[in-house]
Amino acid sequence: MTKKLTWIFWIVLLVFLLAYPFLFGAYYTNVVVIFGIMSLFALTVNLLLGFTGLLSFGHAMFFGVGAYATALSLTHIEGLPLLVSILIGIAASAVFALILCPILVRASGTAFTMLTLAFGMLMYTLSLKLRDITGGEDGIGGFPTPDFSIPGVVSFDMTDPLNFYYFALVVLLVSMWALWFLTKTPFGTVIIAIRDNSMRVNYMGFRVTHTKALVLVVSSSFAGVAGAVYALFQNLVSSDGVFSILTSFAPLIMTVIGGVGSFFGPIWGAGIMMLLEEVVTLYTDRFSLVSGIVLILVVMFAPSGVVGMMRIVKAKWLLRRQKI
Amino acid sequence: MDSMTAVYIAQGLHGLAYGMLLFLVASGLTLIFGMMGILNLAHASFFMLSSYFCYQVVQMTGSFWMGLLIAPLATAVVGVLVERLMLRRLRAFGHVGELLVTVGLMLIILESVQYFWGTESLPLPPPEMLEGMVSIAGINYPIYRLFVIGMSLLVLIILFLILFKTRLGMIVRAAVNDADMVNALGINIPVIFSMVFAIGTWMAGVAGVAIAPIITVFPGLADQIGMDAFLVVITGGFGSLGGAFLVSLIFGFLNSYGIQFVSQLAPVLMFIFMAIVLIIKPMGLFGERE
Repeated sequence: MTKKLTWIFWIVLLVFLLAYPFLFGAYYTNVVVIFGIMSLFALTVNLLLGFTGLLSFGHAMFFGVGAYATALSLTHIEGLPLLVSILIGIAASAVFALILCPILVRASGTAFTMLTLAFGMLMYTLSLKLRDITGGEDGIGGFPTPDFSIPGVVSFDMTDPLNFYYFALVVLLVSMWALWFLTKTPFGTVIIAIRDNSMRVNYMGFRVTHTKALVLVVSSSFAGVAGAVYALFQNLVSSDGVFSILTSFAPLIMTVIGGVGSFFGPIWGAGIMMLLEEVVTLYTDRFSLVSGIVLILVVMFAPSGVVGMMRIVKAKWLLRRQKI
Repeated sequence: MDSMTAVYIAQGLHGLAYGMLLFLVASGLTLIFGMMGILNLAHASFFMLSSYFCYQVVQMTGSFWMGLLIAPLATAVVGVLVERLMLRRLRAFGHVGELLVTVGLMLIILESVQYFWGTESLPLPPPEMLEGMVSIAGINYPIYRLFVIGMSLLVLIILFLILFKTRLGMIVRAAVNDADMVNALGINIPVIFSMVFAIGTWMAGVAGVAIAPIITVFPGLADQIGMDAFLVVITGGFGSLGGAFLVSLIFGFLNSYGIQFVSQLAPVLMFIFMAIVLIIKPMGLFGERE
């Protein structure tokens, strides 16, 4: 029965998302695209923090490398197909993570956090200083957005917001599903075990550092997907937009507010933070202040986030019903 | 003396001044890390907050010296409140919560400063007796920067005397090694934690006041020195004061000579230095623990 209900829920959600642009108009369609991008980005942060126990303060570097790689490839290679440009973004993020692996995976706990912070700041500095490649503060903008086409079958114009919405929806949903699937595989079980007791996992014969490196590369690749879609969507990437430390903190705050360790928590968090931003910006432009306060309150008083709170409420409700 | 040597000496003094300020910030960071196992992301924000406090005091009293006295103390009070009300409650639940709280704090301080004092840069002139240039060995050098070097040295000497000559320092050093054991020996560790937090933020506050007349007071004030201080702590080895001192000075000189020779890539030099150290010694130069 519950399985049937879950299926119905997903089908209704999918139909809703497909019909969404016709119900709410262009502005809110774009909001949903950003929501999807941030959700995927927050999910990759949670794959490290919630599932492997690694807190990253520099996740924007993987997001940014993906975004810059996609933007650069579209600027410099003429007639590049859309999917290839996204694949280039993913590959760049994965390779970048592989390069950092030897330094990052040997560290754990606070040391890992600080190293990711340092490399995140390095990428930010580099993107500002290597003006010839990255365009400095101005970033890269105005690159062509190619059509999504299967030769001889179909071709969609991606500059049309409606077409892009459906394209982004498919890419992001497939990525989220892939991440979800990953956490259900034996590999997903091993990384949770590493979070809980890495020494024991080591004794059991699993190679902890190799596994951590693999998680890092997977997380980075999917952050690269989010970055690539972001680049295509904004048609502009700049150091402040994708590499700044606030870009690292945004998905982290979403993850914590949604619920660390629960797979769908970050999506809840992304939704809540974006709703909050819509409301707060009506009154003040100091949204960071609000998100800082919310972050501290959640960490101190509801460390399991919204999903954890819902579980507690549900458990209490069930308990009360049993008593009656 | 030819002009090139004069430039080298001036850049060297610049580097020394920056390195000293950097150590004032980084030493608090590394001490707090050594004791509590968290790297306080809001540390650089306290540095900036102190500059704004100093600006406010100078506005009200007209005296830079009052600012130098009051602003770091006020910053230390804020630091202790944060430690008591937030970090202490989270200590039992591991470091992730504490790290996240410092992130939130960083955002809050950055935004409140802009709310109260605006985003433009506020001038804070040095006191009259420290204005102007002095001639050393044929080169003209601003007196104020020499004062900064001297004051940082004074603070450092006081810190080293406290740490290595007093009973409190002995307890702090022991607690850096193993806080639980010191606690078990009957010493009130939470109070020691608060004191170290206060001393750390006070030193960051002194550095914040010292740098204000050089680069004026603005919200991005702490961006560079904050980043550099984190790199110092990582490169010098987590929790190592000697490592922090050595690396601060190296970074100071890398910074000043780097700007002269490879101006575009000067900020990257420190990262390169850090990466080389970490590849050879993953725990940092003098680090022993993770």
